[in-house]
Amino acid sequence: MSEYEMVEMRKKIGEILCELGEKDQRIYVLDSDLAKSTTSIQFKDKFPNRFIETGIAEASAMSIASGIASEGQIPFYVNFAMFVSGTAWTQLRQAAYANLNVKMIATHPGMDNGPDGASHHANEDIALVRSIPNVKVLIPSNIKELKEAIEIAIKYQGPVYIRCSRDVVPNVEFENKAEIGKATIVEDLGEEFALIYEGTAAAIAYKSFQELKDRGYKGKLINIFSIKPIDINLINNIASTVKGIVTIENHSVLGGLGGTIAEIVAQNPKHAKLAYVGVSDVFTESGKTSDVKAKYGLTVENIIKKVETVIK
Amino acid sequence: MKDIKSLEQLANRNRRNIIQMIYNAKAGHPGGSLSVIDMLTAIYEIDVDFNSEKRSKVILSKGHAVPAQYAVLHSKGKIKDEELNSFRTVDSRLQGHPHTLDIPETDATTGLLGQGLSIAVGMAIVKKNNNEKNHVYAILGDGEMQEGQIWESLLQAAHYKLDNLIVVIDYNKLSSSGAVNEVINLEPLTEKLRVFDFYTIEIDGNNMQEIVNALNEAFTVKGKPIVIVSNTIKGKGVSFMENNPKWHSGALTEKEYEKAIEELDKAKEEII
Repeated sequence: MSEYEMVEMRKKIGEILCELGEKDQRIYVLDSDLAKSTTSIQFKDKFPNRFIETGIAEASAMSIASGIASEGQIPFYVNFAMFVSGTAWTQLRQAAYANLNVKMIATHPGMDNGPDGASHHANEDIALVRSIPNVKVLIPSNIKELKEAIEIAIKYQGPVYIRCSRDVVPNVEFENKAEIGKATIVEDLGEEFALIYEGTAAAIAYKSFQELKDRGYKGKLINIFSIKPIDINLINNIASTVKGIVTIENHSVLGGLGGTIAEIVAQNPKHAKLAYVGVSDVFTESGKTSDVKAKYGLTVENIIKKVETVIK
Repeated sequence: MKDIKSLEQLANRNRRNIIQMIYNAKAGHPGGSLSVIDMLTAIYEIDVDFNSEKRSKVILSKGHAVPAQYAVLHSKGKIKDEELNSFRTVDSRLQGHPHTLDIPETDATTGLLGQGLSIAVGMAIVKKNNNEKNHVYAILGDGEMQEGQIWESLLQAAHYKLDNLIVVIDYNKLSSSGAVNEVINLEPLTEKLRVFDFYTIEIDGNNMQEIVNALNEAFTVKGKPIVIVSNTIKGKGVSFMENNPKWHSGALTEKEYEKAIEELDKAKEEII
């Protein structure tokens, strides 16, 4: 792993949507009074007729997206993860029931909005959306993957939820193109352990992997781009070869990445030991984002401790 | 366009099919299906052309009244005779609430109250952007007006001046627990909608002539969305169901079924 800078993915959302919205006139963008925060405001400036401001009315916004999709267009509802997944859950579920071509970009996931506190910490959004049939759940870990996720969403016919971090991520690029249902082996140095992370926890996963490497542990770093459908074969292969797996997520350990991996490997008779890093079924609190994440488990020390436990 | 008498004849036949479906299924919502059927029959006859690629859309937001929509779609040849008997049974296309993957002509998957008007707003926005000359109808229940999302979408429809959107409130005055205005008062309903900047029309929604006049008036409106407050009788057309909250949802006995059909047959003869 070479040196890398940190970058904010969120800042690219508006730019990418403008670029793709230029090529494809079917693209609409919906906002609920947070366009500056999500950067979707750039789309408004460029394509005012295809930018729909709903006001602070998330339930209605999701159903409006359904109506826009029903007329053959491709709506992107860009809003905080809490509102897209939680406030508008039954509206999303109805859209999915009809397999409508609605797309969501959910920003400020997990504890990325540290100072606003637990009310705004979307630590349940993966669980909420992945339990709905038909919905694809993609979590980009860098800017290239974000653009690829949006391109996939445009190409794919049906609901797609893209979880996009607000906090910084390593500014890296993978050689392979992101795909629905495919994970990426970011580094492969041995069979002792595997760190499996979701995109919005990329920064802490990278740091921890580097530290483990420095301490002489040999393992794998796995990026789960597509949490639903998930790369079952790759996970089963890893669960059969390494001694221990640690999942890392900016989310509750219930029903998110850890839960998803557990559902798969539990069916594999000779699977590696599994430990979870994430929020443990509690409500969090206000604080600097990095402080909140540290207090609720996302630290290099915690991850290393979990790795040492599972490889014993 | 069909004349009033033939619309009434058609509505009568649709009523018969509503009773048939619910009797066979031993479940369903007869009251709200019978109250809205005159309006639905007229809308589809007057303004929905299934042969046109760009056509008006009808969203039955009060999705529990789906027997009414199925009856109309049956009259339009979109649902087969034998399918009517499969309503609410396993492997049927006729789900308990509208589902577009089963029957695309239902135009929207509904059933969870409060969502259909927002879907209509989304459709109307796209149709306006594309300069389509047809309409989007959102058929709401009066009990549904208690849903918060309805008021979100009313604000949005007015904000975007969606004059291609025609909202119909099937105001039969009863919801699941009884008198809707005793559950939570909606009044003054028409006035509220007017100050929300809707063009309001209030009619007897079981009078075909008033329905046709209201639709023709709605087609002339520019610059604001239209709402038709359609005062109806829940269970209209079957005497023992009329204004009786018991028939919000329920199955008919064989005797009740026979009486309902007998009454509808008699009513048919009276349409001249």
